[in-house]
Amino acid sequence: MTPRTPLLALRQVSKYFGAVEALVDVDLDVHAHEVVALVGDNGAGKSTLAKVVSGVLSPDSGLVEIEGEQVTIGSPSAANRLGVASVFQDLAVAENLDVTANVFLGQELRSRIGLLHDGEMETETRKLLDHLTVRIPSVRTPLRHLSAGQRQAVAIARTLIGSPRIVVLDEPTAALSVAQTAEVLTHIERLRDLGLGVILISHNLNDVRAVSDRIEVLRHGRNNGSFPASAAHEEILAAITGAS
Amino acid sequence: MNAIASIRDVITRNMRQSGILVAFVVIVAIFALLNPMFLSPTNLTNIVLQYTYILILAIGMVMVIVAGQIDLSVGSVVALTGAVSAVVVIKMGMPWWMGVLAALVVGLLVGAWQGFWVAYVGIPGFIVTLAGMLLFRGLTYVVLDNVSLSPFGGTYYGIANGFVNGLLGGYGVDTFTLVIFAIAVVGFGVSQWRTRQGKIAYQQTVESLPLFVVKLVVLAAVVMWFAYQLASSRGLPVVLIILAALTIVYALVTQKSVFGRHVYAIGGNQHAAELSGVKVKKINFWVFVNMGLLASVAGIVYSSRVNGAQPAAGNMFELDAIAACFIGGASTSGGVGRVGGALIGGLIMAVMSNGMQLMGVPTSVQPIVKGLVLLLAVAFDIYNRRRAAALR
Repeated sequence: MTPRTPLLALRQVSKYFGAVEALVDVDLDVHAHEVVALVGDNGAGKSTLAKVVSGVLSPDSGLVEIEGEQVTIGSPSAANRLGVASVFQDLAVAENLDVTANVFLGQELRSRIGLLHDGEMETETRKLLDHLTVRIPSVRTPLRHLSAGQRQAVAIARTLIGSPRIVVLDEPTAALSVAQTAEVLTHIERLRDLGLGVILISHNLNDVRAVSDRIEVLRHGRNNGSFPASAAHEEILAAITGAS
Repeated sequence: MNAIASIRDVITRNMRQSGILVAFVVIVAIFALLNPMFLSPTNLTNIVLQYTYILILAIGMVMVIVAGQIDLSVGSVVALTGAVSAVVVIKMGMPWWMGVLAALVVGLLVGAWQGFWVAYVGIPGFIVTLAGMLLFRGLTYVVLDNVSLSPFGGTYYGIANGFVNGLLGGYGVDTFTLVIFAIAVVGFGVSQWRTRQGKIAYQQTVESLPLFVVKLVVLAAVVMWFAYQLASSRGLPVVLIILAALTIVYALVTQKSVFGRHVYAIGGNQHAAELSGVKVKKINFWVFVNMGLLASVAGIVYSSRVNGAQPAAGNMFELDAIAACFIGGASTSGGVGRVGGALIGGLIMAVMSNGMQLMGVPTSVQPIVKGLVLLLAVAFDIYNRRRAAALR
């Protein structure tokens, strides 16, 4: 039996900031219909890895493969073209724009005469939010009037524009209340049900164990163990802290 | 929903926009009460002729402010473009349109220069345009060789002082003016109706039908009354046609184009815009090019209005334009502001200047009043935002 080609594969990826080793020979596989969690202590290299995948940073060495083909992800828009969409830690939404405008930002639909095709975009946005089971009263609401959880949902919805295959979520629940977190976690499950490969970066082991299929631990920029979601809390914690 | 609750709902929902409209109406009413001459046909025509250039500058300025920048150089650019035009037309004896063309080209070059430093070198617009303010003022003196040039005369003079009158005849009241305004009112009504129908189709809340109709009828009545006053004075001012065309074009650019959407995105969250694939540098560059272009249009209108070019022309215009934007609801932190709001803000400045002059308010008091109005407008904006944040 030949092993399934992963949707995304990182091989021996390294990234240095001067003398600081942010990532050293990191391997990572993500398959379709899979949520892979990346956990680790502060400074373990989680966010650096997310930025490498989403094209914000380029690795100093190592290979990145998408569906078995070696690729260079030079910029966020290049990542988009390759089917990689990201939600960044610092909530990359514009609070002055409405839901539709945020979802389609940078990828607006145009009518035949080149103006914004608002009607089409609104219909599409409503469809996306339904897919994710997001409850937002109106797609014309400016984001500053939404709760943090709803904003995060919008940020996740915008990743689905242009039918991506891989979604990177960097700490999507960091600033949320318990109820909001639960909601965002169901959105993440919906992403998996839609057939995407999801990379979930989080501090919170409970969140991670609730939704992910596999947990990869990073420590000092290196792989430090791979666990099924059913693994014992203490076991994962030990890999994160380096206690053995 | 009963009518009163509906009205209250509309007012609270659009406090930022309608608050400024209410303020405008109140200011007009006060001046009308204090001086019966204020709403006379002659004076209304005068207001249009005297302050169009501020409104033109405000249209460009609101886009700069929405993008999170500021342009302090527009007054100097008005002077420079007017000076170039004067040299071409008066000194070199070329036809009027060569002057217009030369001014527009200079405006574009100035915009490209400032856009380059802001967008590609990364110097804040405040600094770049502060330098520009000095730079272009100096260049104006160089171009004019330290002396004033006048008069333009002819067609060039007609740009800001001419009227379209008598095309369709009329007995003391110009029919053409009334017809144009009627077309505009009907067009506006139809577009509002279609917006409303679209909102209903998308199941969004709209004001009740009677309220909607009353709003339109009141607006139509005010506009047609204004048209009648113009028509019974000297007809349709050419500058008003220019201003109307610019308003329509820029309302479309800001609200309906991808470029406009990206300007708002950059002002709201530049980092997010960049990560979403918005070409931030390119957009910033073109926002300043556009400001340069509109400043040159204002320069043409102003030089035509005063029928000549002086080295000190356009002094402090930038402050009037910036004040117009902030009074009109633009946010100091960027991302918020509308062309329509900036125009009403500009009209408030214009009406206050004109009204105070008409009443013989000492020139020393006039800037004091304007300054206080600006301060109150921004204070109101901040108060509103705090309340919105508290509601969340």
